[in-house]
Amino acid sequence: MDSGPAKRRKLDHSQDGAGKALEAAVSTGGVSRSRAFILEAEELLEEVRIDYKTAFEGADQLLHKIKSSIETIKSQEPLPILEAATKFEKKSKIKIPFPDPQPPKNSNYKVAFAKPSQFNVVGSYVSKTMVKTQKDHSVDMIVVLPQEILQEKDYLDLRYFYKRAYYLAVVASALQKESGDEAELSYEYLNGNPLTPVLAIQPKSPEATDEGSKGRLQYRIRIIPCAPEGFFPKGKLHLGASLVRRGRDTESETPAHPTAFYNSTVAAEGSFLSYLKLLRQTEKKCAAFKKACILGRTWLQQRGFGGDISKGGFGHFEWSVLLALLLQGGQRMGHAALSTSLSATQLFKAQVQFLSVMNFSEKPCVLGAENVDLEEHIESGPILYDYSRGLNVAFKMGHWSAALLHQHAKWTRSLLSDSSADQFTPTFILRADLPSHTFDLFAHLNYSDVLDQVIGNDYSESRGRIWQLGSKVYRVLKRALGDKELGERARVVHIQTPEQPKWSLAEKPKDQTRAALEVGVLFDPVNMSRVVDKGPSAGATAEEKEECDRFRRFWGDKAELRRFERDTIRETLVWKSTTPFEICEEIMRYILALHLRIGHLEDDISFYGNGLAVLLSIKPADTTSYSVARKEFSTFERDIRNLDDLPLRVRQIAPVCPELRHASVKPPVFGSLKSGPRPMDCVISFEASGKWPESIAAIQRTKIAFLLMIGNLLENSKQGVKTHVGLEDAHFETENLAFLDVVYESGPAFRLRIHSDLEESLLERQVKDKTQEQYLRQRATTQLAAFKRLYNNLPLHNQTINTSITLFPALGPTIRLVKHWFNSHKLSIHFTPEFIELVTLHIFLSPYPWDAPSSPSTGFNRVLLFLSRWDWRSEPLIIDSGNELTNSDHFAIVTRMEAWRKIDPGMNHTVLFVATTQEPTGIAWTSLNNEPKPTRVVATRMTALAKAACRVVREEQLLLDPRRLFVPSLKEYDVLIHLDPKALKNAMRTYENVDPAEEVGEGRGSKFKNLDVVTGEDLLPLVAHPAEVLLEQFGKVFGGPLVFFWGGEGDNVVGAIWNPGMERRVLKGGMLASYRPGRQQQEGDGEDKVEVEMNKEAMVGEMARLGGDLVERIEMR
Amino acid sequence: MPSTPPTLGDFTVLPISIPPLPSFPKPTTHYLYLRRNTPKIPTPTDSRSLFLTNCPVDSTDIHLRSLFASLVGPGRFESATFEDERKDTAHKLSPLDAAVPVNAVHLLRAHGSTKKRKREEEEDAERSKEDEAARLPSTWTRPLRRSGSTAVVLLADEKSVEQVLKACAKASKTKKYPEWGAGVADKVPALGSVWVKQHNRLCYPDPATLQQAVDAFSAVFARREKEAAEISKRLRNEPDEDGFVTVTRGGRNAPASRSEAEEARKKMIERAEKKRQEMEGLYRFQLREKQKEEQEELLMRFEDDRKKLEAMRMKRGKFVPEA
Repeated sequence: MDSGPAKRRKLDHSQDGAGKALEAAVSTGGVSRSRAFILEAEELLEEVRIDYKTAFEGADQLLHKIKSSIETIKSQEPLPILEAATKFEKKSKIKIPFPDPQPPKNSNYKVAFAKPSQFNVVGSYVSKTMVKTQKDHSVDMIVVLPQEILQEKDYLDLRYFYKRAYYLAVVASALQKESGDEAELSYEYLNGNPLTPVLAIQPKSPEATDEGSKGRLQYRIRIIPCAPEGFFPKGKLHLGASLVRRGRDTESETPAHPTAFYNSTVAAEGSFLSYLKLLRQTEKKCAAFKKACILGRTWLQQRGFGGDISKGGFGHFEWSVLLALLLQGGQRMGHAALSTSLSATQLFKAQVQFLSVMNFSEKPCVLGAENVDLEEHIESGPILYDYSRGLNVAFKMGHWSAALLHQHAKWTRSLLSDSSADQFTPTFILRADLPSHTFDLFAHLNYSDVLDQVIGNDYSESRGRIWQLGSKVYRVLKRALGDKELGERARVVHIQTPEQPKWSLAEKPKDQTRAALEVGVLFDPVNMSRVVDKGPSAGATAEEKEECDRFRRFWGDKAELRRFERDTIRETLVWKSTTPFEICEEIMRYILALHLRIGHLEDDISFYGNGLAVLLSIKPADTTSYSVARKEFSTFERDIRNLDDLPLRVRQIAPVCPELRHASVKPPVFGSLKSGPRPMDCVISFEASGKWPESIAAIQRTKIAFLLMIGNLLENSKQGVKTHVGLEDAHFETENLAFLDVVYESGPAFRLRIHSDLEESLLERQVKDKTQEQYLRQRATTQLAAFKRLYNNLPLHNQTINTSITLFPALGPTIRLVKHWFNSHKLSIHFTPEFIELVTLHIFLSPYPWDAPSSPSTGFNRVLLFLSRWDWRSEPLIIDSGNELTNSDHFAIVTRMEAWRKIDPGMNHTVLFVATTQEPTGIAWTSLNNEPKPTRVVATRMTALAKAACRVVREEQLLLDPRRLFVPSLKEYDVLIHLDPKALKNAMRTYENVDPAEEVGEGRGSKFKNLDVVTGEDLLPLVAHPAEVLLEQFGKVFGGPLVFFWGGEGDNVVGAIWNPGMERRVLKGGMLASYRPGRQQQEGDGEDKVEVEMNKEAMVGEMARLGGDLVERIEMR
Repeated sequence: MPSTPPTLGDFTVLPISIPPLPSFPKPTTHYLYLRRNTPKIPTPTDSRSLFLTNCPVDSTDIHLRSLFASLVGPGRFESATFEDERKDTAHKLSPLDAAVPVNAVHLLRAHGSTKKRKREEEEDAERSKEDEAARLPSTWTRPLRRSGSTAVVLLADEKSVEQVLKACAKASKTKKYPEWGAGVADKVPALGSVWVKQHNRLCYPDPATLQQAVDAFSAVFARREKEAAEISKRLRNEPDEDGFVTVTRGGRNAPASRSEAEEARKKMIERAEKKRQEMEGLYRFQLREKQKEEQEELLMRFEDDRKKLEAMRMKRGKFVPEA
């Protein structure tokens, strides 16, 4: 524990004032974020607090009533168990909830009933640590069994539990008679533990309908029978003891298995009161204890943890006991680990820190004593041992849940130490237990056929056969996927066992064998894509032989000997699949079938989580085509650098397009004959020179001359290179006017633009020049922004993404998926690709409450989650890829955004604010030509779509067909323009020497491709995709009245929405849309104010005329 | 369809019927609004020109010619100038206007003009020739007009203007609307895929043409540069009417490049900054002051956080864990 005494400072939160605030600020590290965290946590505590008076109205009276009715139950003489049971069941029509195995036929021990020796209300009802957001609220009352009906030996062979069940049934029958219709009684397991059924009493509230409005909760009361404190000898209940001897075939031969869980349950039965005492004492000693417990409860709850065995067996009770123990003396050198004067958030952080350091499933953690070695029992389950009470507090946990808890604590710890991230929301608000966001692979095991074969009638595991199967599956998978020797493929393997619902008094507990066992796997993205596993080397020594034997035993026939470099011969596994997901699936199917006989049939195991990747057919081969593109680029760069006669020396050639940073939706392909070459954008910069003319227009012209020269030189020096100087669609002489397309015969093509540093300083000078006319300065500002984007920001952005891709293998595919989503919803026309890439990168750099995603599907889901929650109206998105921004940088960015919002509250110029290390202004990627990109309307639509998608993902979870997330909804659009794919395809081919107007006639005329006059010609490069060209023209012409939505090339339906603000106008010279005379009835009182209304049909007709054969049809709604 | 009023304000309405297309098989009506051209700065041709607003986006000279021919017979239409082609709009710069060295803009404007005025006319012709030569080839076979944009149509004489306006009124009364683009299909470049393809082709002009345009531009630019240099040289020696000598850049030799000067300035600033940094924290009072400042800032930010929290509290649900 790292909270040294230096940090222990008395904090008084009730006092206010600047001095106190400062002290608080300083004592928590002085970082703005952690101060915010404290304030926000306070706010959370306030928000989830329950008003006990109204919420549990009538609970106390009910408890009293129950107590008195239990006290009046008549005592019963001891009877042999079976006799008593049949008699009771016949009489009361209530089943006795005996745990499995049922009491043996020949047993002769006796059960009886007597007045309980003690009643007590325990749990979070008394400590008032319940929260509103809890799933259910229960008031726990323990009923201590009187000593006279128990025997000391009862801890053996479930005898105590039989007696307890009988006792409970008697109480239940009495209470049922008593309560009549006022309450509903049912059995349930305490924390899902099949040994300890309890009675749940749900009062029927008279005003059940408006329950929420009055603040009354739907609480229930649980009657928990338990053993008297210290009745069973502690020494007999240690973790290694074997206390269930019955049920094995022959008692004598095999040494009995230790029954750790059973033992701990017996121990727990006798320690309710001592823990109650412990918690109450701590509450008194430490003022912030309760609050820390509420924070802990919320943290656990958002991660899916709870006291129930199916929820990991670590809930609020375990949290508070652990915290209480840490606050107690006698830890190390007699000191407490934590000081009682810490504040709630500090306690919370300390506890998270503790959990992140201790992994109960790997090393036993003993509290309250030193030198207690429990290492040998770790096999049976995670150990968190409270020495003074003799209980393993973590006894309900499985190895997997302890590992997951450890992992979550680690993630939260790294979040809490990241001062630049929002610490509060991921810690307490976000749900971190959704499998689609958490695990890369999720599988359902259908085990009903194999349960009997694998487990049989083995009842030594009291948690039930399903749990036992689960732990077997875990052990196998952990070994297969988490083998450190081979290189851990999975970071987390998680098992989810089905939950046992409550059942009515007259029935047996519901059979759970139909429910599925769920397995979640979190990949290590690098190791998971490994196709060949190199096992131990086959040497001659006994040790090596042993090693190989073990390997073979585990892996079966899959293990084969192979020879590797340097003549090593090793045991080897070779997997056939290629993608990480498929490899994992293959391994799981193989190993589970081998060891547990699950998965022989295809539908025994169903896998989830790959649907998204399949959708885009993301293959490992894609990576290769991106690398090929990079390699071709290097060739191109070398070719240019090798040109001898250039007047200036080349300083840098930088790629600036998604294809050269692994981020295009489709991997780059070269040399397709279906379209002209698609050049990849690059910029070239030369060493500083005074030769550039001192005029922007002249610089632009000089660039053209330069490009012509480079083209000439390249064509002369290299074989098989064709160059074309192309013209930009520029409006002003001062804009960049031209580019050079270099087409290699082998396929790849590049588009080169020249960077001139003088241009930038000339533009800057124009912007600052106060003597210039306003419109000229405005234009210079726009041009400067465009210049900076193309020549300064884009090359750096390319670099950033490329480095991040090597850091996060899942980043590239995730970006492609997210782009695909933007495309499918026709949003991409409104967003720069760089923006989408940065948003995705943000998810990897600031992945809280998880770790960086290790598969595209988790990454994609989390990007959607982020987009749905991002409040871009008031929050900037800050991406710190190099981890270089200081706190004051962050502060400056936030201030800048606030300033923007103040100037432009309507968000007409700046909408999204995305700042990066290299680009702190925040608007380079979210505005174009002085216009916001996207506009506020579109940004709102993005958020709405992301919200809808997240809702679907959350509701349907694994059953969701991922294709549904990509189906655009067309009903919002007023106009739908259906493009003709055939005409578009045709428009992708143009030739240098053939006029398209004539080509059409001939191309259609000849029936045979090889007779086509055109075929022999070289295709010209494509300036842009024809649909893009058309849309750009539409935008220019109809930019006022219509907003277009289009998903980039491949999307053949363009949606458009009329601008509602332009419906009616006053007629004047020069309007922004086509208008027709308004209806007659409206009377213009002033003659010069004549209203006209938008002539929508005429405009649609115009679009049809412009589009010509490219437009198949236009729908108007 | 409601009957259209013949006039709206001072505009005459001319409905045009638009034939249907396979992709949008619905006949539509477009409304053109005309009036006499009365610009703020009168020109000699105002009396025989018409001002049009709400032109169809695919308007061309030829379209309008055919339209006017159908209204008042052929031969009356002289030319049309569309909104984006008008000289007075500041949107387009001719390459010649752009071909001026930055540092000489003011010089040429102030002192070069006197000389120019004398030979204005002869220069005009030469100018447009140069302009033509330096202009880069267009990348479109057919430019589009922004929706709702304007045009000025020049007719043969004043009488035609009258006739056209009358004909318009008649057309809307009789509901015999002229048809858009009747008989022009062969005379104008096609739209649709051919148009897009031609654009792609025109984007890659012949290198020789391109080179010529660049050369023509450079020639003008060099001439202007020389002119500017001469003027500045002259000014350095000549007092003006009031007897002052204008101070111009550069010494006896060529004027220093401005970028070099800027670089030198940057270096100077850097040096000063470095020196300042070295001096920081030298004295104890500086440290103390700095600490004080930091503390104050901390406090301020703490208050800021509190305020922000308040704002967040307004937006409900921020503090409730997600279910």
